[in-house]
Amino acid sequence: MNTTNNAGVCPVTGQGAALEQMSLIDPEISARPQAYYDAMRESDPVHYDEKLHMYLISRYEDIQTIQRDPVTFSVKHGYEAQYSAGFFDEFKEILERDGGGYFPDAIMSDPPYHTRIRGLMDRAFTAHRVRELEPLITSVITDVIDKLPATGPVDIVQAFSVPITIRVICEQLGVDQYNADKLSRWSQAVTAQIGRMQNREQMIANAKELCDLQHFLIGHIRDREANPKEDMISDLVHAKIDGSDEPKLTFKEVVSLVRALMIAGNDTTATAMTNLFYILGTQPKVAELLANAADDDRLMSRFTEELLRIEPPVRGLSRMTTKQVELGGKTLPAHAHLLLMYASANDQQEVFACPRDFDMERSNLGRHVSFGGGVHKCIGLSLARLEIRIAAREVAKRLRGIKLEIPVHDIPYLKSVATHSIERLPISYTKI
Amino acid sequence: MSALTVTFTEDNGTVKELSGETGQSLMQVGRDAGVEGILADCAGSCACATCHVYVDDEWYAKVGAPDAVEAEMLDMVDDVRKPNSRLSCQIKLTEALNGLKVTVAPLG
Repeated sequence: MNTTNNAGVCPVTGQGAALEQMSLIDPEISARPQAYYDAMRESDPVHYDEKLHMYLISRYEDIQTIQRDPVTFSVKHGYEAQYSAGFFDEFKEILERDGGGYFPDAIMSDPPYHTRIRGLMDRAFTAHRVRELEPLITSVITDVIDKLPATGPVDIVQAFSVPITIRVICEQLGVDQYNADKLSRWSQAVTAQIGRMQNREQMIANAKELCDLQHFLIGHIRDREANPKEDMISDLVHAKIDGSDEPKLTFKEVVSLVRALMIAGNDTTATAMTNLFYILGTQPKVAELLANAADDDRLMSRFTEELLRIEPPVRGLSRMTTKQVELGGKTLPAHAHLLLMYASANDQQEVFACPRDFDMERSNLGRHVSFGGGVHKCIGLSLARLEIRIAAREVAKRLRGIKLEIPVHDIPYLKSVATHSIERLPISYTKI
Repeated sequence: MSALTVTFTEDNGTVKELSGETGQSLMQVGRDAGVEGILADCAGSCACATCHVYVDDEWYAKVGAPDAVEAEMLDMVDDVRKPNSRLSCQIKLTEALNGLKVTVAPLG
């Protein structure tokens, strides 16, 4: 499968698509966006999506430029403009009235404030610290596989991806009693706020879920204030920044960060696990490669990274320009709202030759932008990688003949510009 | 903590001789001084490869080889990896490394 040297021979899809008639909030395009990405990269790499009112940044080098300059390209303002867009005041009112308060996401901020918050979080997530979780994650995953029916069909989202990621993050946070269905709904309600595809009725339903989530988290936070334990909630509640005038996080910051930890890596890592089955079910050669790689750490690490490159769970996060700036041959005004199209950058032929080929021998695998980059690079990336890698390894050892039970073109995706998440994936398999 | 000197040669050939302190990582010294190519996206958690350096031959034995976790990250940038590649966030400065010389790897 090593096709890295065949640059230029892959067919390019999407040529001739009428860009101005397309939008990422069209549910069909949102679910199957490849042609839209290809057309943008080809003819208008900093493309204004009229329905979304955002500039879509589709080329690798422009995304890198943005990521390297977090002051000109503000996450804080980009995120705020995206958050519950169209309904924000009403959304905020519901949370203040029924949800214990409105807690803006402290991590979605700009330097220097961001540097202070990020510094506290980084310590929990070093690759070496995360690696110590391997036995725990392995036992969670083997337990979930043990409980799968002998052959399927099952919806792998509900039977595998969601329960694994929820158990791992709850274990880390120190949340020992939870309702997995509720947690799954809470996750979707939170991520829907940056998805741009909820209507008012859905916003109200999502806000109610968020109120529930916040009360649940606040209970745990109040408990850890009084009774610290060995878990991440306690770490955040009692964290101190050396040499700072404000060494402790405020209550509002703690709630927002615990919420971010619980939700941000939950849905997205689950999506990556579902994508694992999607790839194995549609590409028998990859399934064969994986079966042969299961005992090789280097190959499993490469397999994980290529899975993340070819199907990034997070496909579009926002920024806002804080001044007029040139980008990709265009002049953007101050306050231009941008969406960074990570999946498109990962598909750029000049960076990743034959980008639609699953090629785990790529020499530059680590260049993908599925975790973003710069100071806002995903903080939980080591945990996500490890969970996906162990899932892939255990699936390779225990399941054979993975087949999709619905046609590829019928796979439903969650409606969101921020993520590209399979909603339901019925599959069959044989357990060995 | 005691002061020491380290030298980075950037990909464009610029040489930067910098002061650091024992206990810091080599990445921290380079990043804080704005060495080109020491981006440290993951803030030193050994989870990206944006602080990649080539350790000068005469220093490599003192610095040592990467551990398994670091080697996996270096494998992700195989296009620019060399036998003396290290992630500078994983090099903790000690008195034995006073005078350390490295060259910054290109970002690919």
